[in-house]
Amino acid sequence: MIILARLEHWREQGAISPEQQSHLASLCRGEPFSLFLELNILLYAGVLAFVAGLGWTVTTWSQQLGDVLVLAVLSTILAACFWYCFSRAPAWSLAQTPAPSAVFDYVLYLGSLIWCIELAYLENRLHVLSGQWDFYLLATAVFFFFLAYRFDNRFVLSLALSSLAGWCGLTISHWPSHQHAAYRQYSLLYCLLVGLGGALLQRRGVKAHFFGTYLNIVANVLFWAVLSGVFKREGYGVWLPALLLVCGTSLAWGLTRRQFVFVAYSAVYGYVGVSAILIRSISDFTFVLTYFVFTAVAMVVGLVLIARRFGRPA
Amino acid sequence: MRIYASASEETLRARKLLADWAGDGLLTQAQYEHLKQETVSELRTTNIFLRLILFLFTLISVGAAAALFFAVFLPHSSEQTNGIFLLICAALSYAAAELSVSQGRLYRYGIEEALAVGSVVFLCVGVQFAFFSGTPYSPKSYGFQSLIPAAGAVFSLWIWRRFGLWYAFPAAMVFAVFLPGYWTSSRSAQHVIVALLYAIGLIGVTAVRSRHHFDFGGNDYSRAEAFLWLGIYLAINLQLSSLDPRAHWWVGGTGAASEFARPFYWTTWMLTWLLPPVVLARGVWLKDRFVLAVGVIVAVLSFVSNKPYLGWPRHTWDPMLLGILLTGVALFIRRWLARGPAEFAAALPPHGYRQRTNGGSTPAPLHWAW
Repeated sequence: MIILARLEHWREQGAISPEQQSHLASLCRGEPFSLFLELNILLYAGVLAFVAGLGWTVTTWSQQLGDVLVLAVLSTILAACFWYCFSRAPAWSLAQTPAPSAVFDYVLYLGSLIWCIELAYLENRLHVLSGQWDFYLLATAVFFFFLAYRFDNRFVLSLALSSLAGWCGLTISHWPSHQHAAYRQYSLLYCLLVGLGGALLQRRGVKAHFFGTYLNIVANVLFWAVLSGVFKREGYGVWLPALLLVCGTSLAWGLTRRQFVFVAYSAVYGYVGVSAILIRSISDFTFVLTYFVFTAVAMVVGLVLIARRFGRPA
Repeated sequence: MRIYASASEETLRARKLLADWAGDGLLTQAQYEHLKQETVSELRTTNIFLRLILFLFTLISVGAAAALFFAVFLPHSSEQTNGIFLLICAALSYAAAELSVSQGRLYRYGIEEALAVGSVVFLCVGVQFAFFSGTPYSPKSYGFQSLIPAAGAVFSLWIWRRFGLWYAFPAAMVFAVFLPGYWTSSRSAQHVIVALLYAIGLIGVTAVRSRHHFDFGGNDYSRAEAFLWLGIYLAINLQLSSLDPRAHWWVGGTGAASEFARPFYWTTWMLTWLLPPVVLARGVWLKDRFVLAVGVIVAVLSFVSNKPYLGWPRHTWDPMLLGILLTGVALFIRRWLARGPAEFAAALPPHGYRQRTNGGSTPAPLHWAW
């Protein structure tokens, strides 16, 4: 029975009203046909292409155009974007707020990306902070956090979290020794701070819907940090329990909250890490293949059990 | 031909639509719970993340099992022997895929998909080793080697029809790209043959899809038609499908222009501008999201490849102009739809959108990133 016949049947049963049947049947026939996604993707691609071209033009022609003209143009676009956003934005609220117009989010993206181009230009041409890129990243992170929370935009929040991670990485790269260990430790510290910050804000009800973005970024950075410890040549033993702990937590979170991306993280990162430890000193190719056959089958069986118990599509 | 009963697939589709409508507030929770009882299917499904990792681990286990068999039992055998055993592996893998559906009632579960994909890979490598390894080169034997991509294309099409796996269709199209290379050395002829093969496919798909307007099969044929339009466009756009596009992409396309006869070259240039409006018009007429998306993609590709086609130099501000054009078109359509035809809507998200994006105002692709 195709869906239109089903709707008719449900209406005759009295399960849905005639108005509902008529409306849902129209939706099935594509009446009206929504172009919402297509138009938004066009706008997004348009902003990206414009910023890419602007960055390329500025890089190539800065000598001929002169710093004053380049900075004036960039600052004008930046000011126009943020004037638009601040003048059109609804009053700030703790809760999720929809964008006031169809182009609002894209003007915000444009402004955010132009900000990056302008800072990069300032440092490359005028050396304002004498190559201290980490300060730029920190300032960008702070500014993007402000924009993300003011305008309720998860994409800008992702940019803020990435800038913050970049700041941590660049700061460590200036240190003289033991960089790999420092990267790992500071990645863990980053995860702790960002995770706690995200959780705290969620508990206080400040843009609670941002928590998913925090959690995904923290989970990925944490898994990479722990995996880098597992792949060390020496002293990796301590990282195996850490990996198992993170996998267990991610799995439990994914199953209890029905966020199966965390189940996927724990399965893939966990398998890679545990396999790296178990077969790192084995040179027998047949044994390695046997290992993969049995462990992959075991993973499939385990995942099927999880899927049957928890993993039905919503 | 289809391994699943159409009633089962219709039921699953109805169940998904019910969830979307309930998420959009078009049904009350009580109605949703009641109607959900009427859309119970015997097929086993799972969510996208578990499906992906089940696919990955099944592929690892199948690949490792085959490699282990060869390492233990056939360590020093000839390539022909290996080829025959690979063909047996293909048959076993395919049989396991069939069994997992008929006995395990798996539907888009990752396991049966990985087994089916594995069987295509085993078949192609098996045919290569069993029939063509160590064959000295001759034009005739080289022509026969087209059996390898032909087998891959036909078997991928079979998997697409039998299991309804959408990605098997573009896989068949990719195999078809390699066919003319075995038959002729003329680059122009190769482009024409590929475009013709896709055009034949397109005629077949459009003929069949008219019978599947509102049923579950409509989506399969919609995707197939979109891929075929894209394939035809890529086959005729010599700047995109040239052997080494990077070599002349930034310096004005002289490489591709000299590689082909002038009439052929300029005919394809005209076609790159004729095809996008045709695809867009068909997408709008059918209200087909996939065909419409391909129409937009090929239109953008025509703009991007036009300068190399004409041999004009690129400028650093070209992407800016493209960005302004895309934004302008989007805003124009939006405004026009706001006061124009009621059968299209710009501000209304497609159903299920709010549920999938937690009601966010940012477009779905950016939400789906996290």
